[in-house]
Amino acid sequence: MSDSTMLWPGNAGIDSITVEVIGSALSTIVDQMGKALIRAAYSANIKERRDCSAAIFDTEGYIIAQAQQIPFHLGSLLDITKETLRRVDISTLREGDVFIGNDAYNGGSTHLNDIVFLEPVFQGGRIVAWVANIAHHSDFVDRGHAHIFQEGLRIPPVRLYRSGELQQDVMDLVLLNCQVPHERINDFRAQMAANRLGVQRYQALCVRYGIDTIATASDMLMDYSERKARAGIRRIPDGRYSFQHDFDTSLWPDILSLAVAVEVRDDELWFDFEGCPPQTRSGLNMVFTMLQACVYYVVKTLIDADTPANAGFHRPIHISAPLGSIVNSVAPAAVYSRHDVGQRLIDMMLAAFSQAIPDRVPAGSTGVTVMTMSGVHPGTGRFNVYNESMGGGMGARLTLDGVDGIHVHGTNSANIPVEALESEHPLTVDAYELIQDSGGAGKFRGGMAIRRRLSPVGHEATVNLGGPLNRVPAWGLDGGLPGGLARIELGEGVRPLSGRNGILAAGQMAAAVTSGGGGFGNPKERDRELVRRDLQEGRISDKVAREIYGLD
Amino acid sequence: MSDHLDRGKSLRIGVDTGGTFTDISLYDPATEELHVWKVSSTTADPSEAIADGVKDGLDAYGHDAGDVVYFGHGTTVATNALIQGRIARTGMITTAGFRDVIEIRRQMRPELYDLQMEKPEVLARRDRRHEVRERVNFDGSIRVPISEEEVREVIARLKDQKVEAIAIGFLFAYLMPEHEALVKRLVAEEMPEVFVCTSAEVAPEYREFERFSTTVVNAALGPVMQGYLDRLKPRLEAHGISPRPHLTQSNGGVISAQEAANFPVRTVLSGPAAGVAGALEIGRAAGIEDIITFDMGGTSSDVALIDKGRPQLATDAEVHGHPIKVPMLDIHAVGAGGGSIANVDGGGHLKVGPDSAGAVPGPVCYGKGNEQPTVTDANVVLQVLNPTHLLGGRMEIDQQKAKAAIARLADRLGLGVMETAQGIISVVTANMAKAIRVISVERGYDPRDYVLMAFGGAGPVHAARLARELEIRRVLVPRNPGILCSMGLLLTDLKAYFSAGRMTPLRPESAASVQNDFSGLQRQADDWFDREGIVAADRSVTRTADLRYHGQAFELSVDCPEGEVDERFLDELRSRFEAAHRQVYGYISSDEAISIIALRLVATGRVPKARLKIHPPATGPVSDAVIGSRYVWLPEAGSFVACPLYDRAKLAPGHVVPGPAIVEQMDSTTLVLPGQSATVDAVLNLLLEEND
Repeated sequence: MSDSTMLWPGNAGIDSITVEVIGSALSTIVDQMGKALIRAAYSANIKERRDCSAAIFDTEGYIIAQAQQIPFHLGSLLDITKETLRRVDISTLREGDVFIGNDAYNGGSTHLNDIVFLEPVFQGGRIVAWVANIAHHSDFVDRGHAHIFQEGLRIPPVRLYRSGELQQDVMDLVLLNCQVPHERINDFRAQMAANRLGVQRYQALCVRYGIDTIATASDMLMDYSERKARAGIRRIPDGRYSFQHDFDTSLWPDILSLAVAVEVRDDELWFDFEGCPPQTRSGLNMVFTMLQACVYYVVKTLIDADTPANAGFHRPIHISAPLGSIVNSVAPAAVYSRHDVGQRLIDMMLAAFSQAIPDRVPAGSTGVTVMTMSGVHPGTGRFNVYNESMGGGMGARLTLDGVDGIHVHGTNSANIPVEALESEHPLTVDAYELIQDSGGAGKFRGGMAIRRRLSPVGHEATVNLGGPLNRVPAWGLDGGLPGGLARIELGEGVRPLSGRNGILAAGQMAAAVTSGGGGFGNPKERDRELVRRDLQEGRISDKVAREIYGLD
Repeated sequence: MSDHLDRGKSLRIGVDTGGTFTDISLYDPATEELHVWKVSSTTADPSEAIADGVKDGLDAYGHDAGDVVYFGHGTTVATNALIQGRIARTGMITTAGFRDVIEIRRQMRPELYDLQMEKPEVLARRDRRHEVRERVNFDGSIRVPISEEEVREVIARLKDQKVEAIAIGFLFAYLMPEHEALVKRLVAEEMPEVFVCTSAEVAPEYREFERFSTTVVNAALGPVMQGYLDRLKPRLEAHGISPRPHLTQSNGGVISAQEAANFPVRTVLSGPAAGVAGALEIGRAAGIEDIITFDMGGTSSDVALIDKGRPQLATDAEVHGHPIKVPMLDIHAVGAGGGSIANVDGGGHLKVGPDSAGAVPGPVCYGKGNEQPTVTDANVVLQVLNPTHLLGGRMEIDQQKAKAAIARLADRLGLGVMETAQGIISVVTANMAKAIRVISVERGYDPRDYVLMAFGGAGPVHAARLARELEIRRVLVPRNPGILCSMGLLLTDLKAYFSAGRMTPLRPESAASVQNDFSGLQRQADDWFDREGIVAADRSVTRTADLRYHGQAFELSVDCPEGEVDERFLDELRSRFEAAHRQVYGYISSDEAISIIALRLVATGRVPKARLKIHPPATGPVSDAVIGSRYVWLPEAGSFVACPLYDRAKLAPGHVVPGPAIVEQMDSTTLVLPGQSATVDAVLNLLLEEND
């Protein structure tokens, strides 16, 4: 009997192949929703960086399929349907009703830029499922982050469409609060298109297989994910593993000490974030769904990357975090930069697990460096917002180097091609390169960091630029050295940033230098051939080759 | 098409090289006779088998080499070079500050949750990627002029590094190709022996990473393809075959040998694309429009989906992890072929492939020195394949050797020999089913709605089991499954694709420039028709435009109306775009500007095509085609079962072969399972169907 047969116990009236076909069809639908959104969208953040996700929920609001794009979005969509069901009288729902929402404390997402479109799927006169998609809108920039009211327009789930009719007054209210309304309206249209596709495809699936068969298959898929999760957890040795990290970021003057403990008990996991600091008066805080996203990401990487992303997978995972802390904030804590802490937490959880399963866990990796530039486009006279997040070096593995120049863990957004960026924004990119000696030395070398240098053209731009790991680097493992630190480089005449904020005159330059990944194992034990090749290719300097790696 | 054809005076030849066999077809339009044969591939230099095989066939069928007027070719040279890493030592010259674009890629990781993932290795090593100061703005104007002196310094360094190929990729070169062109000229001067190509020639589209990736792959393949074609031409000429070879490109169109040598990246799916073209024509003749093609050769299996008569095009084509921005059919390959080697992995599980015994030494049963059991060896032990000879008696088979090899594997697994042989088949079937799920289920198509068309030498052997695994109820085995790809080269018209990329607003003032671009494309098409000797009556073109709303990044392709480009033409284009947008996305934005991103023209030259002959219905009973019986191991029975053996050549339209049965023919063997029946249609296809 094969592994997959064992995982498919019989169920009356529905065979395992049908379940698999329906499962694949559901993930195809969310995948196509995501693609339609990217293809129809206007803003570079969606069409080039693909900072968006799509999902289908069952009638109770549990995720039954999610497009695999940005792991952090696993959390952004967790509560939206359940929260909407709590708020509205279900008997008032009509086919063609579409909800818009973004508030981190009202089911919406994990920060205000992630705007959700949610729509019930009707078949045979009743709701049989929900579809939703989320897109990060490059808007609400140049803001304060003392509390969430400063961070942008807060939208609880409200109906933007009723029975297919646009509620123009709601749309007007939203657009008036956006800095780039022309992009927003066209991105919203793309989000509508994605949901419409999801609704139609789901309805077609109902016609083909029957509503009840799909509901049963969805339940079975969740059970299947749960069994896969439990089987994977069972392969991790029981025990309690913990990790502590001094977290630094340009958003906060002090080092924040973060702590995580994970207990593996048979086929269940208990995560405990006791000891994390109270929420801050900054954008660093995470709502609980964001924390859930980080935890689910970690577990998925450790047990089975192919397990369908649905709510069944969440069942054997328990999370406890102090309410009002930086990892489980309460209103009105600001949340814009929640990924700063999120990326570190993921790395910390992995480091804790490395005590049990060192062969499966990388050393510390880069965080996310964000860059936003805004100002009046000299060509169009319209307000322009450019936004991008940058990866760096992945931590080295037991038998592999860390990957150079890549987004790790919670995010996976693409870069904007220079040729798209310069065509759409009044900016130039002057360099985009890997940084010598930024990968932590080791028997296996940590991944290299990235430098990306930009300057505004023909206008003065407000810049927001920075990230974590500026003082405390990503750790090495097993004798590997830490990765290179992140920093900001400013061109001649630019005044130092205040926190992350500053002004660039036309032609003035600012560069993000991201952080490198930690090394794994003693650098002196690195294969000499690999050291020589790194040297030849300029990945390490002469000095590092001699002094750290001991190359003669 | 000329109406007067003399017998044997205008022969058309199709040659498809695979890793294991080289398949050749010959069509004589005057007599409508089609001959097919195959020879073992010569892996070191595939042109050897081609030239000799063609010559032997011409002699055998009594034709004169001088009468060959067309030579069509599907090749795996480019693909194999990429798979095996036998590529040129490649350098790159790029804009200062951007040598890592090709390595950072889009900064996304290929597998979201796989902590052990790696990026595909860049084909031009970091130290062979050199920067020169130059910069073009987004509007095509020059910000930093290029210095010839600096370029020459960089070339000197590449010379020291002994590169064999150079890719030139500058930012915005698709708008302003002169800088790249200058560097190319200087490289040609300083290093005339080196293959060089520019990003603006190879893939003139925006998004630098994808363009550079395509360019570097093209460069890395350049010397390989050039060397291959340089050997092929004289070999053919030595045999008196003078027409220049035409190569199938990855979208099914046909390009000249010169073009293939300059743009080898366009041929990465050459062979498989010819197979899909062939399958499409066979399906059309059989009245079947929804097809999953399953082409199983010695080394790998290629699968593709044809929906309502349209082969699917890949949207984000990647070959071995390298994005490739040239039009390609959506063909998925998996390392599962007759020569795939079975082994036990570290966890004690039976694995099959992707390593292959190839043509030489081939499976154990060929007796040419390989000791590791393959899929073919399993079939020989199970006696699905003839245990004494293959290829219609032209190849001796040593069943005992195959059995001994599988017995060694069985010992390691703690299983019986027959269970192990059947296990190899189960594992390879599962691998192929997974490949088919990628192009069907994962793209939203239910494989159960399609007919599985099985070809390649090994396809019909495995098709019945594969279909059952996927719950596909019908399998079509063409008359000549072993040489369908080479036949595909003779079943289709000549097609060439021309495009002009220039962003133009869709508004009345643009009519003149659009007309101008289309006229340019028409001239290119006319030149091509002339070169191909296609007379006016056999020429046709279709025009399409890629459009999008000004703020979007992805286009929709729509057919253009007939006639001159004027205001009415552009109005019609707009309404067609809006209809397409509404269909795909469910809305239009009437307040938004529309941009024309690319204009395309497909030129089709009607040529004498091989036609599938309609055969008269069978006159005798199907039992007339039985040539014996063989004990075949059937896991359904758990034992050897006597199965009737049919000669494919003796089957006629209307015959029904009940399973279990084996149908043998020179180029393949078809297994019909218990519970299935195979019906012969008018063009001698075998259609396997489940009985219940």
